[in-house]
Amino acid sequence: MVVATTILVGMAETKTAKGPATFACLGLGSCIGIAILDPIAKVAGMVHVMLPEAFADRPIEKPGKFADTGVPHLISELEKLGAMKSRMKIAISGGAQVFKFGDGTASRMDIGNRNSTAVLAQLKSLGLHVVAQDIGGHNGRTMTFDSSTGEIRVKTVAQGEAQLCILR
Amino acid sequence: MATNTIALGPLHESVVREMANIGLGHATTALAGMTGKAFGMSIPDAQAVSLEELPLQLGGDELLTVGIYMPIDGDTGGHIAFITPWSSAQCLWRMFIGYAPDAAEDVDELQASTMMEVGNIITGSFLSAISDMTGLQMHATPPQLMVDMCLTVIEGVVMCASIADHTALSLRTSISDEGNQIEGYFLFIPTVEGLSAVFASLGLAEAA
Repeated sequence: MVVATTILVGMAETKTAKGPATFACLGLGSCIGIAILDPIAKVAGMVHVMLPEAFADRPIEKPGKFADTGVPHLISELEKLGAMKSRMKIAISGGAQVFKFGDGTASRMDIGNRNSTAVLAQLKSLGLHVVAQDIGGHNGRTMTFDSSTGEIRVKTVAQGEAQLCILR
Repeated sequence: MATNTIALGPLHESVVREMANIGLGHATTALAGMTGKAFGMSIPDAQAVSLEELPLQLGGDELLTVGIYMPIDGDTGGHIAFITPWSSAQCLWRMFIGYAPDAAEDVDELQASTMMEVGNIITGSFLSAISDMTGLQMHATPPQLMVDMCLTVIEGVVMCASIADHTALSLRTSISDEGNQIEGYFLFIPTVEGLSAVFASLGLAEAA
């Protein structure tokens, strides 16, 4: 359930909080929501990445837009609030192929899959372990993260809402 | 995230609306030919909106929505999409094939291709109206269909629109036959250069 005090993490945004907070990425399609919690420091945050990697020839306006810049950006924002990498618990969701019908450029690009691969590779290279993931498929997802309990929930049009995991 | 905003003056807005009206006139004729029924189509308003504002206009971030997306090819690039709430999409299906799926996961190939064909006709007519007025060649490439939360559908369009051009010309579109009234949003997302080319070919300077 997305409540009024929920911190909405829009496309390319990075949001963090110290202390109890509820975050949500609404309607993730090929984008990926990455939720990180340091349960000891009680520091949490989410980033909503859109693409696998930043364009080499363009300035990066929002680091949260890309997997290769968004993941390190979220981690450093969390570290500023006192989180430690070794204690970080992570869940990810999204990376779907939302064009269910029709064969066009968008299906062939398969951004969702490339995003998933890039995010997982990025986390692995930083030595971070993913507790739970709900990625791929053909459905858009709303991902919510309650940092007070560590609960991650994922909602789709087809399957309704369910708990993905508890980060702790 | 509206980085490249396209500001439309009143004159440009009326030009876009006129192009859309001509386009929809063509579309109405084509749809009537396809079904043997009479349709009315109108454009209550045309405006430049940021894609982030669109879910509000459509009725909610997580509202079940159907989106038909087509990239534009030709002298000027861009993107075109028709987005309509689920209840309106069900009406459209009933108009064209006599029945409608109950739930998003029940949409089958026939229903999907019907919806894409409707999208094809509407957007093809719109593009040919722009081409006729401007002399610029524009044609839509094969459509793709999304049935999902409103924000997911819009994200799908944004992703395809190369993330650079966030402002869409949004044309609220109403389609009706004797018993049904359907509301949807027709989105025209030109590249910034594309829109300038359209206006320049009409002898209009960049929007003020």
